[in-house]
Amino acid sequence: MNGRAIAAVDAVFEIEESIRRHAKYSLGKSWRDLSQYDKFRAVALAVRDRMMDRMLATEQRYRQADPKRLYYLSIEFLIGQSLGNNLCNLGIRDSCRQALSNLGADLEEIEGSEPDAALGNGGLGRLAACFLDSLATLGMPGYGYGINYEYGLFKQEIDNGYQREKPDNWLAPGTPWQIARPDEACMVPMYGRIEHGVDRHGGYNPMWMDWKLLIGVPYDMLIAGYGGRAVHFLRLYSARSSHDFDMQIFNDGDYLKAVEQKIASETITKVLYPSDAVIAGQELRLAQEYFLVACAVRDIVRRFEQNHSTFREFSSKVAIQINDTHPALTVAELMRILVDEKNLSWEQAWKITQETLAYTNHTLLPEALEKWPVPLLEHVLPRHLQIIYEINRRFLEQVEAISDGDNARLARMSLIEESTPKQVRMANLAIVGSHSINGVSRIHTESIKTSLAPEFFRFWPERFNNKTNGITQRRWLLKVNPRLADLISSEIGTGWITDLYQLRALENLAADAGFQAELDRVKRENKENLARIIHDSLRIKADPDSLFDVQVKRIHAYKRQLLNVMHIIDEYLSLIEDRKLPTVPRTYVFAGKAAPGYWLAKQIIKLICNVGSVINHDTRASEWMKVAFIPDYRVSLAEKILPAADLSEQISTAGTEASGTGNMKLALNGAVTIGTLDGANIEILEEVGKENMFVFGLPAAEVRSIREQKSYRPWEHYARNPHLKRVVDSFSSNLFCPHEPDLFAWIFSSVLDANDEHFHLADFTPYIEAQEKAGNTFRERGRWIRMAILNVARMGKFSSDRTVTEYAREIWGVKGSTPPD
Amino acid sequence: MEIAVDKIGDVTVATIPVDELDASNAAELKRDIAPILEANTRLVIDLRPLQFVDSSGLGAMLSCLRQLSAKGGDLKLCCLSKQVRAAFELVRMHRIFDIFGTRDEAIRAFQTQGTKAQ
Repeated sequence: MNGRAIAAVDAVFEIEESIRRHAKYSLGKSWRDLSQYDKFRAVALAVRDRMMDRMLATEQRYRQADPKRLYYLSIEFLIGQSLGNNLCNLGIRDSCRQALSNLGADLEEIEGSEPDAALGNGGLGRLAACFLDSLATLGMPGYGYGINYEYGLFKQEIDNGYQREKPDNWLAPGTPWQIARPDEACMVPMYGRIEHGVDRHGGYNPMWMDWKLLIGVPYDMLIAGYGGRAVHFLRLYSARSSHDFDMQIFNDGDYLKAVEQKIASETITKVLYPSDAVIAGQELRLAQEYFLVACAVRDIVRRFEQNHSTFREFSSKVAIQINDTHPALTVAELMRILVDEKNLSWEQAWKITQETLAYTNHTLLPEALEKWPVPLLEHVLPRHLQIIYEINRRFLEQVEAISDGDNARLARMSLIEESTPKQVRMANLAIVGSHSINGVSRIHTESIKTSLAPEFFRFWPERFNNKTNGITQRRWLLKVNPRLADLISSEIGTGWITDLYQLRALENLAADAGFQAELDRVKRENKENLARIIHDSLRIKADPDSLFDVQVKRIHAYKRQLLNVMHIIDEYLSLIEDRKLPTVPRTYVFAGKAAPGYWLAKQIIKLICNVGSVINHDTRASEWMKVAFIPDYRVSLAEKILPAADLSEQISTAGTEASGTGNMKLALNGAVTIGTLDGANIEILEEVGKENMFVFGLPAAEVRSIREQKSYRPWEHYARNPHLKRVVDSFSSNLFCPHEPDLFAWIFSSVLDANDEHFHLADFTPYIEAQEKAGNTFRERGRWIRMAILNVARMGKFSSDRTVTEYAREIWGVKGSTPPD
Repeated sequence: MEIAVDKIGDVTVATIPVDELDASNAAELKRDIAPILEANTRLVIDLRPLQFVDSSGLGAMLSCLRQLSAKGGDLKLCCLSKQVRAAFELVRMHRIFDIFGTRDEAIRAFQTQGTKAQ
């Protein structure tokens, strides 16, 4: 046995011992008495020990070097499961597998028993999680700050095609990953009133009185960079009542009321709001957002003050990224702390605030741009409203100086919308308070400049910049698709794990018959896995030789799952009515959640399920088509679906998707994209080449022009194309809702309405043509696999390592380091 | 609440005897400190034992300051724990109170004022 082999055996032995020790001393049981979840906990604790050592070493190193640190504030961090990812990044997955085998257990089963940390809805939260992985891998001092929701995003069940929501009490069994830090808890005041007074020197001194107090208790989740040389943390805050009970109420004999008050305080971090839910005006959501901001800023300032005596250095040591507007109150909170508590002048504080903060915009959808009614903000955060008004007053003075009396311009740029009631525009607050405003793909950033905030762009052009999103290849290839990862590494080495551009070397193998056959085998095995999941969850037999046509993402009108269904219906009706065979057998795979209050999205789920039910039961179609809506889409399910996809559906109405990251994950796993010129699809197209992607549909400029000129004529499309007519008519015919007549009649009206914002009928024919082309190409196996290889090979740009490096260089001023092994 | 009172020259030092000052005992403090405010014009409140104060407690302190100011007296605070100091800063009350690290510094401040006044 050589030295390396001995070390490997030692590593296995060490892990095995550590697992046994945790079973005995942390869980108080012998290994053989552990439940599956207990086994997961014992393994996770053994892994956490290793991370803890490295986290302390990382912190020690940073403390000595005193580098600038980044704090990433996000209302969502969509972490998913952690065990497999941590094992991969620490490089001990094989040792752990062997150790568990020695103990008679299976690593994959144990990994599978970990509940997802579903602390996010979709792209925004998952992006935050990918960034943390990249920051740690690159050795850049960067930390996430978020909320420790007791209930993550709801669990989705499908009952007769209808979505049912179930609570996701993910913390109930206790998570081994979190380390409580009650000693670093902080006070969070809310509500109250302003008492206008004068200070000792006769100056105006507004005092924030009669607030209620919450306590923010931090829980740290450790984040291991690849290779385990840097381990950072994600700090998640739970709300606690400032006292166990209000003793006065308790003493007065009203025990239940005292308990109720305590529960009300702790409700703040109880539940994650589903996106697309109507949150405007919801006091609890505002309280949640402020709670995150107050805890994070307090902690950031505390850390800074440990090593620095003057706030003049603050922005050279601290960068804060505001992930969308949810943490935009950071602008007012940092100003409040600097001015009220640290006695800085307004001008000094404002300079520091602007130099420290940067804001990422994630959406152009008007309904998703946050505004808070002034009376509500005044009720919850009276001092912050004063500060916002003062920021606005000073800002509008600047604007007025160059506006030649253009009052309409002032009204548009104001932080306050003069509606009834008045509203605070959080995006404007974030823009005014930040030195950098970025979009998340090139087209999105251009839309920010030209449509969302053109006047701000003209005012501060240097502040606007693009940072196209990325994904971490450690999770989205190395961990989720070990077969493909191994195949790639066997050909080009493992450098791609930390430098995704190295995948370019695969281009040379794109036409290599041997490599093609291997890739085909890998994809086939992944499809067999997914076919098993589909069968187990839906009792649908999916043929692994069929084209797996995949659309997995939140269900939303702009993402146009409906257009996908219209193609399926067209294929089906052509098959059974025209006897026209599809170009290729397909398995249509859908997954995604609809916001509980979003009726249209829930109807789309019902439609997919009903169309699936009709097709899947029709023996005439059984050889050619299957439709599967897999319930409860989440990170761990995505990890099973993405490696098995052949075709990636990225078909949003052009100009609506900020970036998308599912498009990147699918392409990295060897799926070919069918998509519109929207979000990051455009940049994917530039990278992979138009011959390796199926592009269709109206471009964003045309969509805008049609909207502006009101020139959309859906009836003309309907009348011109008999296939389209047949599909649209099917919605009013009860073909797909025989037991619930007229259920989908609204779709008939909706797509024929000239106000259909998503132009389903305009894009239908080009989409069908692109699908036909995709089907024909899939039949040419060599050509298809070559396309898949080139998609993988050209995904280098879409690593979150690249994204984070750009943020660090151009916005944060944070540097990476290569720590010692 | 038993407030300890020390007389040092013409300065009175009152020590708040509780470690938490909140809605449950702020009214009690106001009631029990009232005679001390009545009888004195130069008062130091020593907050050494105090580890937690909420907005009701801060309100009580503000009320003390106002009562003394109304009759031409003055109030100084000393020995605030880090947490209590943070609560004062939070509401900008550190800008209206004279706050000192030690009891001696607070007393000395009165004496210096007195000298200046003379």
